[in-house]
Amino acid sequence: MKKWLKFLLVAGGIGLLAGLALLYWIFNKPHRDVSKEKGIQLTSQQLFEAFRKDEAVANGLYLDKAIELSGTVAEVSTNQEGQKVVNFSTDDPFFTINCTFKTDPGNLQPGDSIVFKGICTGYIPDASVVINEGVLIK
Amino acid sequence: MKYLFTICLTTFALLSFQTLNAQKTFGTRNGQIIFQSPTDQDVKAINNEVNSRLSDNGSLSFSLLIKSFRFKMAEMQDHFNTEYLHSNQFPRGDFKGTITNIKTVNFNQDGIYPVEVTGDLTLHGVTKKVSSKGSITIKNGKPLAKASFPIIVKDFGIKAEDVTEKVTITVNCQYQ
Repeated sequence: MKKWLKFLLVAGGIGLLAGLALLYWIFNKPHRDVSKEKGIQLTSQQLFEAFRKDEAVANGLYLDKAIELSGTVAEVSTNQEGQKVVNFSTDDPFFTINCTFKTDPGNLQPGDSIVFKGICTGYIPDASVVINEGVLIK
Repeated sequence: MKYLFTICLTTFALLSFQTLNAQKTFGTRNGQIIFQSPTDQDVKAINNEVNSRLSDNGSLSFSLLIKSFRFKMAEMQDHFNTEYLHSNQFPRGDFKGTITNIKTVNFNQDGIYPVEVTGDLTLHGVTKKVSSKGSITIKNGKPLAKASFPIIVKDFGIKAEDVTEKVTITVNCQYQ
Protein backbone atom coordinates (compact mmCIF):
# COMPACT_ATOMS: atom_id res chain seq x y z
CA MET A 1 0.00 0.00 0.00
CA LYS A 2 1.25 3.44 -0.87
CA LYS A 3 2.51 5.53 2.03
CA TRP A 4 0.12 8.44 1.42
CA LEU A 5 -2.89 6.10 1.23
CA LYS A 6 -1.88 4.42 4.50
CA PHE A 7 -1.54 7.84 6.14
CA LEU A 8 -4.95 8.90 4.82
CA LEU A 9 -6.63 5.75 6.16
CA VAL A 10 -5.03 6.09 9.61
CA ALA A 11 -5.90 9.82 9.79
CA GLY A 12 -9.47 9.09 8.66
CA GLY A 13 -9.81 6.35 11.27
CA ILE A 14 -8.55 8.60 14.05
CA GLY A 15 -10.91 11.37 12.88
CA LEU A 16 -13.87 8.98 12.86
CA LEU A 17 -13.05 7.70 16.36
CA ALA A 18 -12.64 11.26 17.66
CA GLY A 19 -16.01 12.22 16.13
CA LEU A 20 -17.73 9.22 17.71
CA ALA A 21 -16.12 9.98 21.07
CA LEU A 22 -17.30 13.60 20.84
CA LEU A 23 -20.86 12.49 20.04
CA TYR A 24 -20.80 10.03 22.93
CA TRP A 25 -19.61 12.77 25.27
CA ILE A 26 -22.31 15.21 24.07
CA PHE A 27 -25.10 12.69 24.63
CA ASN A 28 -23.77 11.38 27.94
CA LYS A 29 -22.21 14.39 29.64
CA PRO A 30 -23.53 14.23 33.20
CA HIS A 31 -25.53 17.06 34.75
CA ARG A 32 -23.95 18.98 37.61
CA ASP A 33 -24.06 17.09 40.87
CA VAL A 34 -24.31 19.78 43.52
CA SER A 35 -23.73 17.29 46.33
CA LYS A 36 -20.09 17.02 45.18
CA GLU A 37 -19.57 20.81 45.09
CA LYS A 38 -18.54 23.12 47.90
CA GLY A 39 -21.41 25.52 48.48
CA ILE A 40 -21.33 29.19 49.46
CA GLN A 41 -22.77 29.26 52.98
CA LEU A 42 -25.59 31.78 53.50
CA THR A 43 -28.82 32.26 55.40
CA SER A 44 -32.03 32.85 53.43
CA GLN A 45 -32.12 36.45 54.70
CA GLN A 46 -28.51 37.13 53.59
CA LEU A 47 -29.25 35.83 50.08
CA PHE A 48 -32.43 37.89 49.82
CA GLU A 49 -30.66 41.05 51.10
CA ALA A 50 -27.92 40.65 48.48
CA PHE A 51 -30.41 40.51 45.58
CA ARG A 52 -32.63 43.27 47.03
CA LYS A 53 -29.63 45.57 47.40
CA ASP A 54 -28.11 45.06 43.95
CA GLU A 55 -29.25 42.34 41.56
CA ALA A 56 -26.28 42.71 39.19
CA VAL A 57 -23.74 42.36 42.02
CA ALA A 58 -25.66 39.43 43.54
CA ASN A 59 -25.84 37.72 40.14
CA GLY A 60 -22.06 38.05 39.86
CA LEU A 61 -21.61 36.47 43.29
CA TYR A 62 -24.27 33.75 43.32
CA LEU A 63 -25.79 33.05 39.89
CA ASP A 64 -25.11 29.46 38.75
CA LYS A 65 -23.13 28.82 41.95
CA ALA A 66 -23.71 26.09 44.52
CA ILE A 67 -25.39 27.71 47.53
CA GLU A 68 -25.59 26.09 50.95
CA LEU A 69 -28.58 27.76 52.51
CA SER A 70 -29.61 27.50 56.13
CA GLY A 71 -32.95 28.65 57.43
CA THR A 72 -36.37 27.82 58.75
CA VAL A 73 -38.82 26.13 56.40
CA ALA A 74 -41.85 28.35 55.83
CA GLU A 75 -43.74 26.14 53.39
CA VAL A 76 -43.40 22.68 51.86
CA SER A 77 -45.07 21.72 48.58
CA THR A 78 -44.67 19.47 45.54
CA ASN A 79 -44.20 20.84 42.03
CA GLN A 80 -46.01 19.57 38.92
CA GLU A 81 -43.22 17.06 38.27
CA GLY A 82 -43.52 15.60 41.75
CA GLN A 83 -40.34 17.18 43.15
CA LYS A 84 -40.38 18.51 46.70
CA VAL A 85 -40.19 22.32 47.03
CA VAL A 86 -39.34 24.27 50.15
CA ASN A 87 -39.84 28.00 50.62
CA PHE A 88 -37.64 29.82 53.10
CA SER A 89 -39.10 33.02 54.48
CA THR A 90 -37.40 36.42 54.53
CA ASP A 91 -38.27 39.64 56.37
CA ASP A 92 -40.47 40.55 53.37
CA PRO A 93 -43.72 38.55 53.70
CA PHE A 94 -44.17 38.48 49.91
CA PHE A 95 -40.64 37.28 49.15
CA THR A 96 -39.24 33.76 49.59
CA ILE A 97 -36.24 31.68 48.65
CA ASN A 98 -37.79 28.99 46.46
CA CYS A 99 -35.80 25.74 46.65
CA THR A 100 -36.51 22.63 44.58
CA PHE A 101 -35.02 19.27 45.56
CA LYS A 102 -33.47 16.94 42.99
CA THR A 103 -33.74 14.02 45.41
CA ASP A 104 -36.52 13.43 47.91
CA PRO A 105 -35.48 14.91 51.29
CA GLY A 106 -38.05 12.85 53.18
CA ASN A 107 -40.56 14.31 55.56
CA LEU A 108 -40.13 18.07 56.03
CA GLN A 109 -42.47 20.35 57.94
CA PRO A 110 -42.89 24.13 58.19
CA GLY A 111 -40.81 25.32 61.13
CA ASP A 112 -37.99 22.78 60.56
CA SER A 113 -34.47 24.22 60.54
CA ILE A 114 -32.60 22.74 57.61
CA VAL A 115 -29.51 23.20 55.45
CA PHE A 116 -30.20 22.93 51.72
CA LYS A 117 -27.62 22.92 48.91
CA GLY A 118 -28.55 23.70 45.31
CA ILE A 119 -27.78 25.84 42.25
CA CYS A 120 -28.94 29.47 42.25
CA THR A 121 -30.75 30.26 38.99
CA GLY A 122 -31.54 33.89 39.77
CA TYR A 123 -33.92 36.49 41.10
CA ILE A 124 -37.55 37.20 40.24
CA PRO A 125 -38.39 40.69 41.58
CA ASP A 126 -41.20 40.84 44.16
CA ALA A 127 -41.34 37.04 44.29
CA SER A 128 -38.29 34.88 44.99
CA VAL A 129 -34.69 33.88 44.58
CA VAL A 130 -34.73 30.45 42.94
CA ILE A 131 -32.43 27.56 43.79
CA ASN A 132 -32.92 24.16 42.18
CA GLU A 133 -31.26 20.76 41.67
CA GLY A 134 -30.92 20.70 45.46
CA VAL A 135 -30.12 18.19 48.15
CA LEU A 136 -30.70 18.17 51.90
CA ILE A 137 -27.49 18.58 53.88
CA LYS A 138 -29.05 18.38 57.36
CA MET B 1 -71.11 71.68 51.59
CA LYS B 2 -68.34 70.25 53.75
CA TYR B 3 -70.78 67.63 55.01
CA LEU B 4 -71.76 66.64 51.44
CA PHE B 5 -68.09 66.39 50.43
CA THR B 6 -67.35 64.06 53.36
CA ILE B 7 -70.29 61.80 52.39
CA CYS B 8 -69.13 61.64 48.75
CA LEU B 9 -65.55 60.87 49.80
CA THR B 10 -66.66 58.13 52.23
CA THR B 11 -68.96 56.56 49.58
CA PHE B 12 -66.12 56.58 47.03
CA ALA B 13 -63.70 55.02 49.52
CA LEU B 14 -66.20 52.29 50.43
CA LEU B 15 -66.94 51.51 46.77
CA SER B 16 -63.21 51.36 45.95
CA PHE B 17 -62.59 49.07 48.91
CA GLN B 18 -65.44 46.81 47.78
CA THR B 19 -64.03 46.66 44.23
CA LEU B 20 -60.56 45.86 45.55
CA ASN B 21 -61.98 43.33 47.94
CA ALA B 22 -64.00 41.66 45.19
CA GLN B 23 -60.95 41.05 42.97
CA LYS B 24 -59.43 37.63 43.48
CA THR B 25 -55.82 36.89 42.58
CA PHE B 26 -54.29 33.43 42.36
CA GLY B 27 -50.57 32.80 42.35
CA THR B 28 -47.87 30.19 42.04
CA ARG B 29 -44.09 30.18 42.34
CA ASN B 30 -43.82 26.72 40.81
CA GLY B 31 -45.78 26.80 37.58
CA GLN B 32 -44.50 24.87 34.59
CA ILE B 33 -43.46 26.16 31.16
CA ILE B 34 -41.95 23.95 28.46
CA PHE B 35 -39.94 25.07 25.42
CA GLN B 36 -39.89 22.45 22.69
CA SER B 37 -38.78 22.30 19.09
CA PRO B 38 -41.66 21.08 16.90
CA THR B 39 -39.17 19.28 14.65
CA ASP B 40 -36.87 17.61 17.21
CA GLN B 41 -38.33 15.90 20.29
CA ASP B 42 -34.93 15.95 22.01
CA VAL B 43 -34.86 19.75 22.01
CA LYS B 44 -37.07 20.13 25.05
CA ALA B 45 -36.56 22.26 28.16
CA ILE B 46 -38.74 22.26 31.28
CA ASN B 47 -38.98 25.06 33.83
CA ASN B 48 -40.81 24.19 37.06
CA GLU B 49 -40.10 27.46 38.87
CA VAL B 50 -42.37 29.84 36.98
CA ASN B 51 -43.82 32.69 39.00
CA SER B 52 -47.33 33.51 37.80
CA ARG B 53 -50.34 35.54 38.87
CA LEU B 54 -53.86 35.25 37.55
CA SER B 55 -56.64 37.63 38.55
CA ASP B 56 -60.32 37.06 38.01
CA ASN B 57 -60.41 40.42 36.20
CA GLY B 58 -58.35 38.74 33.43
CA SER B 59 -54.85 40.02 34.11
CA LEU B 60 -52.21 37.33 33.74
CA SER B 61 -48.44 37.44 34.23
CA PHE B 62 -45.54 35.01 34.10
CA SER B 63 -41.95 35.52 35.12
CA LEU B 64 -39.26 32.87 34.78
CA LEU B 65 -35.52 32.44 34.97
CA ILE B 66 -33.76 31.15 31.87
CA LYS B 67 -31.23 29.24 34.01
CA SER B 68 -34.12 27.31 35.59
CA PHE B 69 -34.77 25.42 32.33
CA ARG B 70 -33.66 21.80 32.51
CA PHE B 71 -32.77 19.66 29.49
CA LYS B 72 -32.33 15.92 29.41
CA MET B 73 -28.85 16.46 27.95
CA ALA B 74 -26.47 18.61 29.99
CA GLU B 75 -24.53 19.74 26.91
CA MET B 76 -27.73 21.01 25.28
CA GLN B 77 -28.56 22.93 28.47
CA ASP B 78 -25.14 24.61 28.42
CA HIS B 79 -25.57 25.64 24.76
CA PHE B 80 -29.11 26.93 25.44
CA ASN B 81 -27.78 29.24 28.17
CA THR B 82 -24.48 30.36 26.70
CA GLU B 83 -24.98 30.40 22.91
CA TYR B 84 -28.69 30.92 22.29
CA LEU B 85 -30.51 32.61 25.20
CA HIS B 86 -27.41 34.33 26.72
CA SER B 87 -28.85 33.87 30.20
CA ASN B 88 -26.14 35.85 32.00
CA GLN B 89 -27.07 38.93 29.97
CA PHE B 90 -30.83 38.25 29.85
CA PRO B 91 -31.60 36.23 32.99
CA ARG B 92 -35.41 36.44 32.85
CA GLY B 93 -38.34 35.94 30.52
CA ASP B 94 -41.66 37.69 31.19
CA PHE B 95 -45.20 37.75 29.94
CA LYS B 96 -47.79 40.36 30.86
CA GLY B 97 -51.21 40.12 29.32
CA THR B 98 -54.92 39.64 29.66
CA ILE B 99 -57.49 36.93 29.11
CA THR B 100 -59.77 38.72 26.68
CA ASN B 101 -62.85 36.57 27.37
CA ILE B 102 -62.44 36.34 31.17
CA LYS B 103 -66.17 36.96 31.67
CA THR B 104 -66.86 33.45 30.36
CA VAL B 105 -64.82 31.94 33.24
CA ASN B 106 -66.77 31.23 36.42
CA PHE B 107 -64.14 30.97 39.15
CA ASN B 108 -66.78 29.71 41.59
CA GLN B 109 -67.85 26.73 39.51
CA ASP B 110 -65.73 23.70 38.61
CA GLY B 111 -65.27 23.22 34.89
CA ILE B 112 -63.02 23.70 31.86
CA TYR B 113 -63.27 27.13 30.26
CA PRO B 114 -61.70 27.91 26.85
CA VAL B 115 -59.82 31.22 26.96
CA GLU B 116 -58.01 33.60 24.65
CA VAL B 117 -54.89 35.33 25.89
CA THR B 118 -53.03 38.27 24.43
CA GLY B 119 -50.06 40.18 25.78
CA ASP B 120 -46.37 41.07 25.63
CA LEU B 121 -43.74 38.37 25.77
CA THR B 122 -40.19 39.42 26.62
CA LEU B 123 -37.42 36.98 25.83
CA HIS B 124 -33.72 37.56 25.17
CA GLY B 125 -34.33 41.29 25.80
CA VAL B 126 -36.89 41.56 22.97
CA THR B 127 -40.61 42.22 23.58
CA LYS B 128 -43.25 40.99 21.11
CA LYS B 129 -47.03 40.80 21.11
CA VAL B 130 -48.30 37.23 21.28
CA SER B 131 -51.77 35.66 21.31
CA SER B 132 -52.84 32.17 22.20
CA LYS B 133 -55.85 30.02 22.85
CA GLY B 134 -55.87 27.97 26.02
CA SER B 135 -58.01 26.84 28.90
CA ILE B 136 -58.67 27.56 32.56
CA THR B 137 -59.75 24.54 34.55
CA ILE B 138 -61.41 25.27 37.88
CA LYS B 139 -61.27 22.44 40.40
CA ASN B 140 -62.14 22.95 44.06
CA GLY B 141 -61.91 26.69 43.56
CA LYS B 142 -58.32 26.55 42.25
CA PRO B 143 -57.48 27.37 38.62
CA LEU B 144 -55.15 25.47 36.29
CA ALA B 145 -54.05 27.45 33.22
CA LYS B 146 -53.01 25.67 30.02
CA ALA B 147 -51.93 27.12 26.68
CA SER B 148 -49.61 26.28 23.83
CA PHE B 149 -48.34 28.59 21.11
CA PRO B 150 -45.40 28.80 18.69
CA ILE B 151 -42.80 31.55 18.48
CA ILE B 152 -40.21 32.16 15.78
CA VAL B 153 -36.91 32.35 17.62
CA LYS B 154 -35.28 34.92 15.31
CA ASP B 155 -38.14 37.34 16.13
CA PHE B 156 -36.57 37.50 19.58
CA GLY B 157 -33.04 37.97 18.26
CA ILE B 158 -32.13 34.36 19.08
CA LYS B 159 -29.79 32.83 16.51
CA ALA B 160 -30.62 29.14 16.71
CA GLU B 161 -31.35 28.27 13.06
CA ASP B 162 -28.89 25.36 13.30
CA VAL B 163 -31.13 23.75 15.93
CA THR B 164 -34.67 25.01 15.31
CA GLU B 165 -36.50 27.94 13.73
CA LYS B 166 -39.63 27.65 15.86
CA VAL B 167 -40.23 26.82 19.50
CA THR B 168 -43.55 25.74 20.97
CA ILE B 169 -44.17 27.30 24.37
CA THR B 170 -46.46 25.20 26.55
CA VAL B 171 -47.90 26.70 29.74
CA ASN B 172 -49.18 24.45 32.51
CA CYS B 173 -49.69 26.36 35.76
CA GLN B 174 -51.59 25.15 38.79
CA TYR B 175 -52.50 28.10 41.02
CA GLN B 176 -53.08 28.07 44.77
